[in-house]
Amino acid sequence: MAAEAAAQLYQAFVDQDPAEAIQVVERVRASGVAQDALFDLLYAPAMGLLGGAWASGAIDEMAFTQAAVVAEQVGSFVMPSAARRDTGVTVVLGTVHRDHHSIGRTIVAATLKEAGYRVNDLGVDVRPSDFAERVQETGARIVIAFAETMRTARSVSSIRDVLRAEGIDDAVVLVSGGPFIADTGLAREVGANGVIGGAEAALRIMARVARDLASAGGEA
Amino acid sequence: MAGRSPAVIAAEDLARRGQVGAAVRACHDALALGDRGAHVHALLASLMLDGDFYDEAIAEATAAIESDPDCSPAYLALGLAYDRRGGMSDQSVLVWHELAEVVPDLVTAHVQLGEAFSAAAFDEEAVGSWKRALELDPRESRATYNLAIASLKREGMALALPLFRQAGELDPSQDELFFALLGLADAPVIAVDPARVKPTREARLGAAGLALKADDIFTAAELVRSALDTQPDDAEALALAAYAYLKQEAANEAMACALRAVSLQPDLATALYCLGVVYARRTGLNRHAARVFIALAKKAPAHALVHVLLAESLLALQRYEQAGRAYRTAVRLDPACVRARFGLAATYLTEGRHAEASWEIRRAAYYDTKRQGLFWKLYEEYVAAGEEA
Repeated sequence: MAAEAAAQLYQAFVDQDPAEAIQVVERVRASGVAQDALFDLLYAPAMGLLGGAWASGAIDEMAFTQAAVVAEQVGSFVMPSAARRDTGVTVVLGTVHRDHHSIGRTIVAATLKEAGYRVNDLGVDVRPSDFAERVQETGARIVIAFAETMRTARSVSSIRDVLRAEGIDDAVVLVSGGPFIADTGLAREVGANGVIGGAEAALRIMARVARDLASAGGEA
Repeated sequence: MAGRSPAVIAAEDLARRGQVGAAVRACHDALALGDRGAHVHALLASLMLDGDFYDEAIAEATAAIESDPDCSPAYLALGLAYDRRGGMSDQSVLVWHELAEVVPDLVTAHVQLGEAFSAAAFDEEAVGSWKRALELDPRESRATYNLAIASLKREGMALALPLFRQAGELDPSQDELFFALLGLADAPVIAVDPARVKPTREARLGAAGLALKADDIFTAAELVRSALDTQPDDAEALALAAYAYLKQEAANEAMACALRAVSLQPDLATALYCLGVVYARRTGLNRHAARVFIALAKKAPAHALVHVLLAESLLALQRYEQAGRAYRTAVRLDPACVRARFGLAATYLTEGRHAEASWEIRRAAYYDTKRQGLFWKLYEEYVAAGEEA
């Protein structure tokens, strides 16, 4: 079935018939093939046939180029989806009050966004009350506080205090920054639930926290 | 500058041959004999830098500049010494600024100035310097790598990655990889006359490879066509065709040829390279690119750039730690691989390891200026200008 469809797609390329090419793609999709599999099952074999036809002289240079143009038009129909699915998990993050370091936060925020998290990035120099306010507004249950100096790292405890004062006892507070890496006990001292060492670690920890929150019945 | 002394000329010769100790002794002989020109101190500064004696390099370069404030090779040595010593970004900014004043069209001076600004946390000024470098030379890959790092810091990896790839394609090392995989790494760049090529498969494909290396796409295409007319299922010929199409920005034709080649010979390195490069350029095919580059890394593990290409596809998949490992492999294989150093710096930044990231960028600068032979270029120009005067 797949080989036959690839041959049909190849023929549509050679016939310079983008409408037929798209119909072939749609027929295969309708048969239950997932979007992420269309490229491998259908498009790549058809392109291989095209390369073979040009190599053998079955089609000349001009026909090859024109077929490649049709292949380009159809490409977007078969590409695996680039955007990650929305995880539905909201996270509030920011660099703590009196700290203006932004690089680590920016990279982690962008990585989480790209991975489908709903990221509320509050920027630098964020007061504890601002974290709490945004948590209330968004219903987020995950906060990531960034700090790059010992003094500002210690101030993370006041975020936990303000959250508690606002009645938000179930928020997961994660911390990130050099002081927490250098002193592994510091995170616990300031009332954090975990330390994020970097962008990829953020993905791992967020996935685990989101899973835990979901299994606990809370909204992430 | 009255003619250079025989001792200095001997020192230059020794230095060019990498005999650092003997060259240093010859420089000291020249100084003892009264040849105290700025160029002698500049040469000594460069030699000290080669030996990682940063304070001595700074002292000699400073002596050269005191002797002649227009001594451009001394500024280069001084700036590199400040950068590599670390913690001297303020002085470094001044030196690169001076060099850009002394040699205004020296692209590297603007790139270095940007890096010094960045190290001193003047991010806007840094971006301005790299843009100035690109105005002077739009193909300046190091300026683009730096802009990619700046983009990573400000916007994250998704927006930085296209810049890394753009810089990579400006970098001549990517083409060099293809020719290395083809077995033509050391082949000369020569014009190929298709009429003089023997009508055998080996001769045609060999000549097609040489024609591609000389950027003669039409001759290469003609020779590949002849080979395919005889044997249409020739995977190596198809891979050459794929590369020729890649060079003409005909991505779909390249993909078609590369896929056909891989279907005929799944482990053919040149075909895997072309297929991986085509996939890496397509949004949504990063996973495919990574798969292809993993296969290429297994087939050709000794080539640093193969691991760099793999690392870049892993960055796109947010596998930063795995990408870091691939970059480290590349750096181990080729410590002078600027693209790997910048990529590694990017992965360090994703882990909050800023000092290590800065160190990699400084090493990239060192190797890049060395690869360009920039000290010698400035030195020769300076000496020639002195002799004319």
